[in-house]
Amino acid sequence: MTATRLAFRGAVVFTYLLMLVPVVMVMLISLFNEEIVSFPPSGFTLHWYANAWARSEFATGFAISVQVALMATVIGVPLGTAAALSLARSSIPAKGAIGTLLLGPLAVPGVVAGTALYLFYLKIENGLDQDVVGTMPGLVGAHILLTIPWTVRVVTASLQGLDRVVEEAAANLGARPWTVFRRVTLPMLRPGIVAACMFSFIQSFENLELTLLLVGPGKTTLPVAMLNYLEFRMDPTLAAVATIQILIVAALMVVTDRFVKLSRVV
Amino acid sequence: MAIFILPAGLLVCTLLIAPMLMMARISLNHYDAMSLMVEALTAENYLRAVADPYYQRVLATTLGVAVGCTLVTVLLAFPAAYWLARMESKWKSAVTILTMFPLLVGNVVRSAGWIALLGNEGLVNAALQGVGLSDHSIQLLYTPGAVIVGIVGVVLPYMVLTLSAVIEGIPRQAEEAAANLGARPLTVFRRVILPLATPGVVAGSVLVFILCMNAYATPVLLGGPQFQMMAPAVYDQFSRVSNWPFGASLAFILLAVTILMTVVGSSILGRKLRA
Repeated sequence: MTATRLAFRGAVVFTYLLMLVPVVMVMLISLFNEEIVSFPPSGFTLHWYANAWARSEFATGFAISVQVALMATVIGVPLGTAAALSLARSSIPAKGAIGTLLLGPLAVPGVVAGTALYLFYLKIENGLDQDVVGTMPGLVGAHILLTIPWTVRVVTASLQGLDRVVEEAAANLGARPWTVFRRVTLPMLRPGIVAACMFSFIQSFENLELTLLLVGPGKTTLPVAMLNYLEFRMDPTLAAVATIQILIVAALMVVTDRFVKLSRVV
Repeated sequence: MAIFILPAGLLVCTLLIAPMLMMARISLNHYDAMSLMVEALTAENYLRAVADPYYQRVLATTLGVAVGCTLVTVLLAFPAAYWLARMESKWKSAVTILTMFPLLVGNVVRSAGWIALLGNEGLVNAALQGVGLSDHSIQLLYTPGAVIVGIVGVVLPYMVLTLSAVIEGIPRQAEEAAANLGARPLTVFRRVILPLATPGVVAGSVLVFILCMNAYATPVLLGGPQFQMMAPAVYDQFSRVSNWPFGASLAFILLAVTILMTVVGSSILGRKLRA
C-alpha cells in the first residue's frame, strides 16, 4: 500500500521534473559567470542579457518575431472568431467538413505544411516577379495559418457556454442585430477572444517548423536564430535570449489568466 | 452569418490546401542535377525513397523513436495526469498552468535546456563526477537516448493534459466501489481507471505520435550529425540539395506513414485497453 503510494508520488515528481527542469536550467545558465558553461559556476551576472541584445541576429530576430506574431494575431483572431460564429450560428452545409478544414493547420505536420508553403511561395514569386520568401507578408501569411485553428477552437468552446437567452432578450427589446453583437455577444465572448489572442501570439512567436524555409537573410525569426546558434554552441548568451522568451510566455499566461481561467480553456 | 466563414476558409484553402496539392504534383516531377526540376509524371521519387537503404533506415529510426517515445510518454504521464485530475486544493489551476507552460515555451528553448543538462560539461556529468560515480564525462548528448529524453520532455505536457481531462470525467465512486469490494490500488487502476480512460489514452497517443514523427528541433540539436530522422531529412532536400521532387515525395511518405500508423495504432490500442 505505502510502497504503491510512494512509487506513485515518485512517478509524478519525475514527470514534472522532466517537463520543467530544462526550462529552469536555461533560466539558471543565463546568469552564469563563465562563457563556457560548467557546474558549479564561479558566480552570477546579468552581463549576458546585454550581450544578447548586442548581437544583431537576436535583436532583429526578436523584433521580427514580435511584429509577425502581432500581425498574425491581429489578422487571424478576427478571421477565426468570425468563422467560429458562423459555424455555431448559421446553417451552412457541410459544417463538419469546414470545421475540420479550419482545424487543418493543427493536424498537418509543420514539416509538410512548411515545405508545401515554401514551394507555393516560390511559384507566386515566379508569377508576380516579386519576393515572397524572406519577406514580412510571406511570414505573416504563414503564421495566420497557425492562429486560425486555435482561435476557432477556443472561441467555439466559449460560444458553447454562452446563454442565447440574453441575446434574444436584447433583440426583443429592439436592438438591431449589429447592436446585439456589439453590446451583448462580443462582451460575453471576451474571455475566449483574449485566450485566442494569447495562444495565437505564442504559437506564432515560438514557431519553428513552418517558418524554417520561409525566412531570408536579415529576416530571421527568433526561434530560427536560436536554432542556428545552438547548432554550434550553447552558452549563457543563448540562455539569456531563451529566458526572455520564457518570461514573455509566462507574463502572457499570467495576464490572460486574469481574464479567463486558462485551466478551463485547454 | 454564413458568409463570415469565407475569409478564414479561403485563407486555409489558399495557404494550406493549394500548396499541398501543388507539392503533390511536384513530387511526380523528374529531377536532374543540371536543370533541377523537369516536368514529368513519374513515381520514381517515391520508388527511390522506398528502395534506398539510407532512407529506409531514416524512416525506421523515425518510427522507432516515435513508437518508443509514445509508449514512454503514456507510462510517465499517467500518474501525473491522475494526480492532477484528482487534485482538490486551490493549487489545481496553478498546476494546470504550470503543465501548460513548458508546452508554450517552444522546442528550441527546451532543447537548449537539455544541452545544458546532458553535455560533457553539463549538470548530469558534473553531478556524477562530483559524487564520485564516474571519473570522466560520459557521452550523453548526441546519442539516440538524448533525442528520446528530449522528445518525451517536449510531448509530456500534451499527454498529461489530455489524460487528466478524461480522468476527471471518471466518477470517483467507480474507484471507491472497486476499493470497497476489496480491490487493491493497482487492480483498481488496471480494471477500472485504465478501461475508462481509454479514449484519453488513444487521443493523447495519436497526438503525441504525430508530434514525435515530425520532430525537427530535438533530433537536430540533441541527436548530432549521425542521427537522422525524417523531418530534418525532408528539409535538407529543400535547403541543401534543392531536389524538390524528391523532398516533396519524402514529405508525403512521412505524412502517409504517420496517418497509417495513427489509424492502425489507435484501433489496436483501443481494442487492447478496453478488453
